[in-house]
Amino acid sequence: MSKHAIFLGVSFVLLLSLQVLVFRNFVFVHVGFTFIYLLFLLSIPVDSGFTTGMLLGLVSAIIVDLFYQTLGIHASAAVFIMFVRPIWMKLVVPRSGYESNELATVGNYGISWFLSYAAPLIFSYCCIVFFVEAGSSQFFWHTITKALASTVVTLVFVVFTQYLFYPKTS
Amino acid sequence: MGQLLSFLYRFRAFFTFLLLEAFCIWLIVRNNDYQRSSFSKTTAGLVGSINESTENISEYFSLKRVNQELAEENARLKSLLLSNPALPLVSLSPPPIVSDSTDSLIYELIPAEVVRNSIRNTNNTFMINKGSNDGLEAGMGVINSFGVVGKIRDVSKNYAQGISLLNTRNPISAKHKISERMGTVLWEGVNPQRARLLYLTPDVGVEVGDTIVTSSFNSIFPKEIMVGTVRSSEPDKNNTYLNVEIDLSVEFGSLSFVYVIKNHVKPEQDSLINTNPQLF
Repeated sequence: MSKHAIFLGVSFVLLLSLQVLVFRNFVFVHVGFTFIYLLFLLSIPVDSGFTTGMLLGLVSAIIVDLFYQTLGIHASAAVFIMFVRPIWMKLVVPRSGYESNELATVGNYGISWFLSYAAPLIFSYCCIVFFVEAGSSQFFWHTITKALASTVVTLVFVVFTQYLFYPKTS
Repeated sequence: MGQLLSFLYRFRAFFTFLLLEAFCIWLIVRNNDYQRSSFSKTTAGLVGSINESTENISEYFSLKRVNQELAEENARLKSLLLSNPALPLVSLSPPPIVSDSTDSLIYELIPAEVVRNSIRNTNNTFMINKGSNDGLEAGMGVINSFGVVGKIRDVSKNYAQGISLLNTRNPISAKHKISERMGTVLWEGVNPQRARLLYLTPDVGVEVGDTIVTSSFNSIFPKEIMVGTVRSSEPDKNNTYLNVEIDLSVEFGSLSFVYVIKNHVKPEQDSLINTNPQLF
């Protein structure tokens, strides 16, 4: 954690500003929302613990919530995925195993590991956000479509951002 | 006691999770009721000013369209003015001024600019750059030159948040203009250009293209403000009500300038309703 504190701090600020200033205004084909700031939460090192992760999730998601005018919805989803994340990471161990204090990124563990690690987390995040926001299962298929499309769009942006801007050495 | 503490310590991650989730759920529940305060007054100013500065950039791209809309509205108002006969200045008959017109001022329109708007959620909201400093209060109606936009839900000093018509929890009292029959317009939650008109009975002859306007049965909107036009209409299975789908007249995707309606007699109307609640 400490080794990457500056990098994480900078990515926190940049990704959150991207989220609330740029990506908030784009919805792809009416259903695909982009939650690029999840990249920050997903890239936190493996061994940083439950509490740190959940608190970081809460803080960043509440900032997002303030701009989306949905106070609490993104926060609850982010806290949930940050609680599940360490447990999920134990199940999807990369071939070489985790290294301590390394960012959980494509550059460190490879693209196939990252996709299998990030896709379910992003999907559960989107499901919570859209179902809580809809407040009922009345629009079940519409909401599920939104969640699936947003997962794909978010995943694409999260992966490409890493290829373009993240350090490649492992 | 020691066992309890060690139990708590062993599952501390789970308990922290429960605590944080409880906090989030409290936030959601507190803001769920759309009538109540939803955005904190302390952050509204900061969030609003950031929204406004980003809107300042993006508004350049819609300037041409906005200009055209405003020019069209000006032309419409000008033609209304010209259609009034000019006062005969040299005439034996007295000028037809009935009484002081300030007595009959009921509605005042406050212009505002939309700094943030959503249309892809199930319950959409918007934010405008006028607040309590400009005399706005929660519960006021918002329209633009095309029709009904929504109502104000919450105000801070310089900004106000509104719930748009594109909100599944924001029904609006409306009527079928030709037959004068009342109904309720409610958004369905998916398509930002369509809504549904509820509670019209099959004996009303609703045709495709008929105009739907606001009714006079509310103190938020003046009567006969445009809501939309009928897109399709058919009786439901039990033949009790009509399924009327309407095309909304406001293009919510490109909302830019709106008017907030201040109703000067609303306190009087409300106090009358509050003193005789069983009648309404």
